[in-house]
Amino acid sequence: MMQALLNGLVSGLLIALPAIALSLTYGILNFANFSIGAMITTGAYLAYLVNTTLGAPILVAAPIAAVLLALIAIVIQRGIYRQIRNADHITLLVASMGVAFVLENVIRFFFGADVRTLDVAVARPLSWNGLRLNHEQLLIVTVTLSAMALVAIVLKRTRLGRAMRAISDDPELAEVRGIERARTVDWTWAISGVLTTLAGVLIALDGIVDPLIGTNYLVSVFAAAVIGGIGNPFGAVAGALIIGIVEETSALAVSTTYRQGISFVVLALVLLLRPQGLFGFARIKR
Amino acid sequence: MTGYFVAILTFVSLAVLLGFALNIQWGQAGMINFGLAGFYGVGAYTAAILSKQGVDGVSATVAAIVTTAAISALVSLATIKLREDYLAITTLAFSESVRLVLMNETWLTGGTNGIRDIPRPFVDLVGGERYELFFLAACIVLVAAVYFLLDSVIRSPFGRALRAVREDDVVAATLGKDVLALRVKAFAIGGAVIGLAGALHAFYFTYIDPGEFAGFVTVYAFMSVIVGGKGSNRGLVMGACTVMILLEGTRFLKDFVPFFTAQQAASLRLIMIGTGLILVLIFRPSGLSSEYRLSSPKTADTTS
Repeated sequence: MMQALLNGLVSGLLIALPAIALSLTYGILNFANFSIGAMITTGAYLAYLVNTTLGAPILVAAPIAAVLLALIAIVIQRGIYRQIRNADHITLLVASMGVAFVLENVIRFFFGADVRTLDVAVARPLSWNGLRLNHEQLLIVTVTLSAMALVAIVLKRTRLGRAMRAISDDPELAEVRGIERARTVDWTWAISGVLTTLAGVLIALDGIVDPLIGTNYLVSVFAAAVIGGIGNPFGAVAGALIIGIVEETSALAVSTTYRQGISFVVLALVLLLRPQGLFGFARIKR
Repeated sequence: MTGYFVAILTFVSLAVLLGFALNIQWGQAGMINFGLAGFYGVGAYTAAILSKQGVDGVSATVAAIVTTAAISALVSLATIKLREDYLAITTLAFSESVRLVLMNETWLTGGTNGIRDIPRPFVDLVGGERYELFFLAACIVLVAAVYFLLDSVIRSPFGRALRAVREDDVVAATLGKDVLALRVKAFAIGGAVIGLAGALHAFYFTYIDPGEFAGFVTVYAFMSVIVGGKGSNRGLVMGACTVMILLEGTRFLKDFVPFFTAQQAASLRLIMIGTGLILVLIFRPSGLSSEYRLSSPKTADTTS
């Protein structure tokens, strides 16, 4: 039971990164980015590419992949989402599903459906009072916590963060006050690209790289963001921890193949009982 | 060659039915269904499992329609207080859960092996060699029937109320419309059509497995609706044909570019479909044909 709780916390931290990314883009652009799963996958494959073909160690490969995906995300924003930003948010949502479809199949085109692994050494798990924590999990904890701290600093302490929060609150007012929307949006996508790449690499380190690794987390990530009150990055972290723990502890009772099914049930319950999310505020619709 | 043509037309009929469903759910009511593939699977498996148990084809189809409609209504309850984004994720999560059940509950669904030898309705009456043609005729009749049924729904006061909810649910509620009931009904009607398409899918292929009800089905349906013009059933038929021609036409791609493997050619087709969807959204968001309106389009088009 304690082991399941620990595993749940770790996998929750992992889900938290894309959940923050989802909340950030949702807050600023007012649409749910359904390509978040495909972005995780793309990040993992980019890291794999740099790691195995260029032979760079993963600690070097991951940042390079993160920068690459950040650039790709900005290109997608400028090439696609900005072109249709005047359409309703459902059109943007459908477009993001199209983007996911394209990204996933570009990966299949170049890499096929084969399962691959990153080129890293395998180490013995640490154990403490009967609780096991392997090195990948330790790495997940370190990386995710540092990334979250960085995001928090950016949001609370920098000019960019203030601009992001302002636009999220009231885009028109922000624009009137001279905040450059396009630049802020680009940066948001860049952060989103970095966070999803980190998540992709961590997932790949803990297991394998295949074209569905990100999509397999899509429902959990959305459930986390919705529980946290979508658009609220700090709520997303709490939501992710809840989802992680529920998924891992339910594995004691239900077959692990139903992990996504569990997220669906939690999501449906939250939507029915507390639709603004556990940490969101009910808003009056305009 | 005739056989191939008949097969393509049957696929188009199924695609048109799925498009009709999306058109009422998304086009008319503004409710997005990213889990179409899952509902399609529910319809197909209901029909298949019942037929295997010896239930006759027509009753199995009716059961598939009713089951899918009921489940659609349940899932759409997630929008009680919320905007449509949440329905998108709820339906997607539902679809994934359906796939998990189809793959893992082997006692019911045959797991990844799927269900084989689904008995075809009326096969004794029609005979084996003309069956494909008979099935196509049945599909076309059903498509026409659904078209006219939906058309009368869309033109009815109920249809107008739906569009009112889509445009602004607060205003619609203020005018005394029961927004939740309208939404649940619209989603259930769409679900019924998806259930019908699913049953036809099971009877046509006589073999189904969970892989056939994955996300690409949903993308194709969205593509048909977007190309055809959201909200327009007439445009949709053109849209579905265009998508099928694209899909089938690009199947021959690998004959021209022999240096791609079959897997790569398949991915390339899907990349083209996805890119096509995005391009249509950017350059021709209203599609080939526009939706039915009571007043003339010149004065009515103030919402965009």
